[in-house]
Amino acid sequence: MYEEKITSIIEDPAQEFDIVVRITREEDIAVARQMAKQLAQEIGFSLADVTRIATAVSELARNIYRYARQGRIMIRKRLEDRDSPGIEVIAADRGPGIPDVELVLMRGYTTWERSLGIGLSGVKRLMDSFAIHSEVGKGTVVITEKRRRTF
Amino acid sequence: MPIMQVDGYLLVPIQIDLDDRTVGRLQQQLLKEIERTRARAIILDVRMVEVIDSYISYTLSETAAMARLMGCRTVLCGIQPPVALTLAQMGVTLQEVAVARNLEHALVLAGSFQERDKGV
Repeated sequence: MYEEKITSIIEDPAQEFDIVVRITREEDIAVARQMAKQLAQEIGFSLADVTRIATAVSELARNIYRYARQGRIMIRKRLEDRDSPGIEVIAADRGPGIPDVELVLMRGYTTWERSLGIGLSGVKRLMDSFAIHSEVGKGTVVITEKRRRTF
Repeated sequence: MPIMQVDGYLLVPIQIDLDDRTVGRLQQQLLKEIERTRARAIILDVRMVEVIDSYISYTLSETAAMARLMGCRTVLCGIQPPVALTLAQMGVTLQEVAVARNLEHALVLAGSFQERDKGV
């Protein structure tokens, strides 16, 4: 399941992203967050949503850096629906994978010493859709999306 | 990060993007300054901060807990509405941190701790 997802996302040349940030250093977390913010602003998200999206990207990028050491944040505009454009954020890594996905989505659960344990569950709350594919020893892919609300 | 000494308090206007390293360095710097100045309270002004995520929240709470053990309180002020909204939605509570509406209120809060600590 993970393998299919990551192959279709990373290795298919038809999959184009507006932003790809390789996460290899701590500083890359802030870079990913800044770039996500810019793109969300460009799409016309409200300031509240721009902040939600930037915060979600920050959490996803930090998880990659912490648990997988390296991976990618990929972001693209979704403009097919002209009435409500959106933004898709994908976090992919070939790290250790997550044995129990349900467990890590529980608020307050963490394997990291200095952590609130609300990163992934927070992302789920901040974004409109959230899917996670993970396999132990292979890696993790998180796919999330947010739609711009029409005013 | 500039830390100002005002009337027995340490005032920190945070004016840059808080990345993990910066927030870690700020923690170290604050602990040293508390020891050096014997400050009674730290006031963190986050008016210019656009994103506070779970790790930054964790580190701010942790810093406040450390400061508390050194006899120093922590007051946070100036949280922007979108940041407040995001933190509340994620379910973040800032333990050990007193939150003020603005800098003026932060100074009042910091002053009230001082009174209480004196037993007045």
